[in-house]
Amino acid sequence: MSVALKSWRANEGPKHLIMMFWIAVNVFLFWRTFMMYFSGAQYYYLHKMLGLGLCISRASASVLNFNCSLVLLPMCRSLLTFLRGSQRVTGRCVRRLLDKSKTFHVACGVTICVFSVVHVSAHLVNMVKLMIFLALFLVPGVTGVLLVLVLFLMFTASSYCIRVSSYEIFWYTHNLFIVFYIILMLHVAGGALKYQSNVEARPPGCTHNNLSSWTNHKAAGEKGAEFSGAPQTVCQEEAHFQPHFPQTWLWVSAPLCLYCAEWLYRFIRSSTAPVTIVSVVSDPCDVVELRMLMSGFKPRPGQYIVLNCPSVSSFENHPFTLTTVSPFYGSIMEMDILSTCIFSNLIGSSAFLSRPRVHVDGPFGSPSEEVFNYEVSLCVAGGIGVTPFACVLQALFDDWRQYKLRRLYFVWVCRDLQSFYWFADLLCGLRERLWRDNRPDYLNVQLYLSNTRGLQVIGEERYRFLSSRLRIGRPKWKLLFQEIGRANQLKRVGVFCCGPKGISKALHTLCNSNPHTGTAFEYNKETFI
Amino acid sequence: MGKIEWAMWANEQALAAGLIYATGGIVGVAGQFRGWQFACFGIAAGVFVCLLEYPRSKRGKGTSVERTGQYCFTVCVKAFGPLTRNYYIRAFLHATLCVPGGFMLATVLGCVCLGIASLIYLTAAIHGEHWEPILPRREPPKRVGDSIKEPPQNPPPRPPPELRRKKADKLEAAAYDNPMSVTVSE
Repeated sequence: MSVALKSWRANEGPKHLIMMFWIAVNVFLFWRTFMMYFSGAQYYYLHKMLGLGLCISRASASVLNFNCSLVLLPMCRSLLTFLRGSQRVTGRCVRRLLDKSKTFHVACGVTICVFSVVHVSAHLVNMVKLMIFLALFLVPGVTGVLLVLVLFLMFTASSYCIRVSSYEIFWYTHNLFIVFYIILMLHVAGGALKYQSNVEARPPGCTHNNLSSWTNHKAAGEKGAEFSGAPQTVCQEEAHFQPHFPQTWLWVSAPLCLYCAEWLYRFIRSSTAPVTIVSVVSDPCDVVELRMLMSGFKPRPGQYIVLNCPSVSSFENHPFTLTTVSPFYGSIMEMDILSTCIFSNLIGSSAFLSRPRVHVDGPFGSPSEEVFNYEVSLCVAGGIGVTPFACVLQALFDDWRQYKLRRLYFVWVCRDLQSFYWFADLLCGLRERLWRDNRPDYLNVQLYLSNTRGLQVIGEERYRFLSSRLRIGRPKWKLLFQEIGRANQLKRVGVFCCGPKGISKALHTLCNSNPHTGTAFEYNKETFI
Repeated sequence: MGKIEWAMWANEQALAAGLIYATGGIVGVAGQFRGWQFACFGIAAGVFVCLLEYPRSKRGKGTSVERTGQYCFTVCVKAFGPLTRNYYIRAFLHATLCVPGGFMLATVLGCVCLGIASLIYLTAAIHGEHWEPILPRREPPKRVGDSIKEPPQNPPPRPPPELRRKKADKLEAAAYDNPMSVTVSE
């Protein structure tokens, strides 16, 4: 049990710590703003008019400020790639936290939606209390309605099934975020909310010299409950109210400027670096392999790029993992991508007719880069999810000695036998190389064919290494973990998964729960969508 | 680029719009706003839209992802046949349901969101999409191959015990008796 705790601490601990800290900051901001409007002297009259609606709307607004500023930071991909790459500055714990950047972005997004609902509901109550329905047609009202509509479009197109089925809808609606931020800046500039600026000279509950004693007594009596200790003072001047400086501008401007600067840098870099498509190969199972040459580009194994092809679609950018990265000539790098998606098929078909212009944005870091930083790694790939590991295998083939990695377990689960032919040569070549270098235990390959119908074998003589490791049916993860645990006692094993949700969930559970003779399993998941 | 499934997005929007409509209605009724009767209608319409939109449609191509526990809703929605299958009818229904929400402050947002969902459903209908229920696939029961008529009743014949036992003086043959010849493994 203590070993499972060790794995759990390594896998879940830092992530949960950051989440607890983030929730604590949100709760603190909500509570502090709530109390300021509930009992602050400068908001006394406003609170009297609006009641709880004021406090809830302002408190939710401060949480919204915080999350609108944080939500952009996980999307600064070049910055995160730089942090991941500078291994001397950031430890493995921080790099593994960077893997969770998309989850954090989603958490901030959901919080923005939830607190927008709270904020809008509270303002509706405020409007009804003050009977100022025309406020809906002022700047804060109109911008507020537009913000909700933009958020509605973005949120509804961000669900997992939309991203998987129609990525374009997600992409185009999510790029409305810039409209969201512009309208947000205008929303807070209305100056509808005012505070009393001369509380010292005219504290609430003070007595007027020229008013009747009954009025003074009533006002003092009302205020008596809150300011029972304070002596009754005379109002020295009339109350002055002035609007706040829009705090949202302070919260949001820095992350927005950072994101825009980074976007500009990526745009200039991808526009000016020329990319040539060298070959387009059709592989089995509707897969297209694109080979490209690009200069001034130094990707690391496991990284991914984002492609844009104006002849296919001007505004769409799609991510692809690099399957091969090798120096071609001088500073020119040759790289391959393997894909089943329609976008790559269209690039491929247009490449047959002419030389289409392609823009490459990246390279960006991914969890698979960490494979080399463990002594023992388990890589589990599902179907086309093998692409990040293909680059890893290629890097090991080029020079396995330079890395810390000493043993690699490679499990590949496919539905179709033909899929194994994508990297059959690479696997056999790497195994030959390792045998020649007298490291036969370095690479352990297990291939699984989940489609159990009919007799299926890899018949070719040159792939005999693979055919003897081919198993029909789904893998038994518990047995695999036990085998790895027994063979690598007291070690830290990195588990990397790129495949369907079912597999990644099973692996995640096993990494945390199964005590394996002193071996700790650290879980790293690769996601694209 | 590629075939966009508009209905899937319209479904997400309509579900979210139903929740917003119902929430606005609850705020309106709880706060006893002017025109709270429209808020009551908002709650009823919001809940109805949520129930109608909860079961996802089967995708034209690819794996369909079900919502948790949607099977009973699928059966109910399927029972209405062409009324729920056709997206023109759904678009018209949502457009009709959203109109009363525009008369009350709390339900205005729900009205606008449901209106947008109605437009996207109209787009889906124009593209020829329709609602298909996701039903559990019944796999045919695994049958034993036709060539196996009857499994054997008795074990295979074995040589008598004297021949089976290895003699200790024959050291070369005293090794483990393999049932079949073994070649050097790769």
